[in-house]
Amino acid sequence: MQDTYLTAAGAFLPGLPVSNDAIAQKIGLIDAQSERLGRLILRQNRIKTRHYAIDDAGQITQSNASMAASAAKAALENSNCSGADVDLLATATTQGDLLVPGHASAVHGELATALPDIGMLEVANFQSVCASASMAMRTAYLNIKAGEKKAALICGSEFSSRWFRPEFYQGALDRLAEKETRMSAEFLRWTLSDGAGAVLFEPAPSVHQQSFKVDWITLHSLADRFDVCMYAGSTGAARHDLARGAWAHYADGPGAAVNDGAVMLLQDMVLLKKIIRGWVGEYLRLIDDGKIIPNQVDWLLCHYSAHSLREELIRLLKASGAMIDEEKWFSNLPTKGNTGAGALFIMFEEFMSKGLAKPGDRILCVNPESGRAIVSFMMMTAQ
Amino acid sequence: MDGSTPIPLGLCEKTMRGLALAWTDFEARLERVPLIQKLNRQALKLEDYRALLLNLRQQVIDGGSWIARAASSVDGEHFDLRSHFLSHAITEHRDFRMLEENFVSVGGDLKDIQGGQKNLGSEAFSAFMFHRASQPNPFDLLGAMFIIEGLGQQKAREWGTSIRDQLDLTDDQVSFLLYHADNDEDHLAEFETWVRKVAITPEISDRITKTARIVGRLYALQLEEIGHG
Repeated sequence: MQDTYLTAAGAFLPGLPVSNDAIAQKIGLIDAQSERLGRLILRQNRIKTRHYAIDDAGQITQSNASMAASAAKAALENSNCSGADVDLLATATTQGDLLVPGHASAVHGELATALPDIGMLEVANFQSVCASASMAMRTAYLNIKAGEKKAALICGSEFSSRWFRPEFYQGALDRLAEKETRMSAEFLRWTLSDGAGAVLFEPAPSVHQQSFKVDWITLHSLADRFDVCMYAGSTGAARHDLARGAWAHYADGPGAAVNDGAVMLLQDMVLLKKIIRGWVGEYLRLIDDGKIIPNQVDWLLCHYSAHSLREELIRLLKASGAMIDEEKWFSNLPTKGNTGAGALFIMFEEFMSKGLAKPGDRILCVNPESGRAIVSFMMMTAQ
Repeated sequence: MDGSTPIPLGLCEKTMRGLALAWTDFEARLERVPLIQKLNRQALKLEDYRALLLNLRQQVIDGGSWIARAASSVDGEHFDLRSHFLSHAITEHRDFRMLEENFVSVGGDLKDIQGGQKNLGSEAFSAFMFHRASQPNPFDLLGAMFIIEGLGQQKAREWGTSIRDQLDLTDDQVSFLLYHADNDEDHLAEFETWVRKVAITPEISDRITKTARIVGRLYALQLEEIGHG
């Protein structure tokens, strides 16, 4: 078995940072209520700036795949590898640009345009929500470990804002009259934004910059117990009966699905609280198994969608004697926004470029996904 | 408590962690219970709510008794824990009346709920509680109380308000659930104090968390058995 090292990282954030008062210019307002709810949500998530692949005229500036390719290119440029060395490309996103085929193919195509020495390679395509990033990393980690691959490029990217344009909601305003549905739509509109990140895994540490040995990666789905929590493709009630409720099953076609509100991105805020406790349970189990020793963790990179959820997590961790001191938490959520499957990579790129880790430091990455409750943990040791 | 033996470092934290894990496992299991799934999916019917009340009542009626028995099993050296148990017995022992009132208020017949039988899960739950309460110094019942009070604090309001809204009921008709939500505040902080006093050996700590896990399992079983006669 080979060791696996994270040897380089890259990030790509489209356009200039967008401040809180300029969000509406980019994603628009569903109606007069949007601004008031937006202010409330921004107070909860405490995000100050973020990026959108939409210009001030509301025009889309690029694709999800091109953002992923830009981040992947940046990671390669920060490494000793050339495009020709890459033998695995694992991609993660919530929604690719096309329904068919997979996002990994689109990213490979874009990457080949950006880097002429990129050739044929193996692809692995992960579509989930935030945890798709961890699925991609785990696949790359196991491929390197098994000696199957020598240079695995992993990228996570999101183009959430295209979902947030008013046109996605206006056919189904009656659904939004319901307070909870409205909040579940607006929470995501004012919290998620665009961007991509990438990392490179290799069987040996880099000779010219700090590398991080990947000690282990776990990933667990809790869909055996929890219902769908963050979703698009059906209405709230219909998500439990997909044979009838899925968007493509509407008798009058996809247009009818849009007008019924079945393609809005929604978050069940009540269920989310329960799922957070489920994630904490998995964390406590890793402590009991001896895999995580909280006071031996030097850095915690935890992906969370809003500051208010971070506080909820901290309250639970303190109550169960499993807290990792807050000065060990590293996050760039307030400046880079919540970029879903890209977030952990974008966070790691900044963590790495700031040179915060000393050799021997233990870094714990936590990547929970509310979608239908997935949680992933990754332990690394700085070299 | 005996001050001569040093308490292992971090034992209270380990116990609290074990209890938190027992809770999250329990809560996850509840999500899979058919009746709770119906409730979560906004598909509950009035007859489901009546069945819930009828089933809970048969076990809740024992609540005050097992706590009182537990209190009498605590020896004089631990009188403060005995008082703690007793104070719970006082608040719990009339709960079943409220369940009956709620049942009648949603069209149930008082004779039916008073003449009801414990379901398989309630039998197992009640029998286990009396068994543990009969042991000398049943400190592990703190683990049971952690789960039961957690139900009051975390689930009762969630269920009560959801049942009220789905079935278009008034607060009075779901008062058993809403009343519990109001009465079990600050349970974590108080719990930690008790755990620190009582969980002074790894064996006691393990027993507390094991009892919490068993109680969670049996409570869920009680809800799973609703409608199975």
